[in-house]
Amino acid sequence: MAANPAQKRYLSRTIPITIAYLATIFIAAALVDDRSSVSAGVVALALLPGIAALGWIWALARLLVELDDEYLRMLEVRKFLVATAVVLAVSSVWGLLEMFTSVPRLPIFYIFPLWCFSLIFGQLVNRAKLDDGDCS
Amino acid sequence: MKNRLRVLRAEREWSQSDLAERLGVSRQSVNAIETGKYDPSLPLAFRIADLFALRIEDVFENPAKESV
Repeated sequence: MAANPAQKRYLSRTIPITIAYLATIFIAAALVDDRSSVSAGVVALALLPGIAALGWIWALARLLVELDDEYLRMLEVRKFLVATAVVLAVSSVWGLLEMFTSVPRLPIFYIFPLWCFSLIFGQLVNRAKLDDGDCS
Repeated sequence: MKNRLRVLRAEREWSQSDLAERLGVSRQSVNAIETGKYDPSLPLAFRIADLFALRIEDVFENPAKESV
């Protein structure tokens, strides 16, 4: 992604949100002991990264709303759909394995990062199916 | 959907970027439409036809008639 103003705005929104997400996770991990009892402070610290995650979702929604180029918007939607398919597939299959076998439990926390990483796969699918070429 | 966009553009010696700028879309959009990988919406198809002072069916081939 590069030139479109909506995509530039998306990047300018997601960079600080990502920094905030990582920072709040590290802060929560450093301050909250696994054995500590549940208190209002612990809940607040645990929810801080969630605010950043909501910010991500907001930024993604704004990207689709603000992207005025219909072809680029379609590419983004296709990426989202591929990422959603990957997450549904992984979570469903792993969930079944959890139910019937003794595989380690996958925390729900990982679903959103997995979706974000799956966008890369969506981008590759777009390139394979809708290569935009480079002729003038 | 087959179309004459590349020919019409070449007749005017426009690059894909020139055409994209005139249409207010990205160069990728122009390339995808030219190569038939993406069918534009009706409003964009009208914009393209208007730009070349043609009717939509003079730019884009009717897929229904194409198979006949």
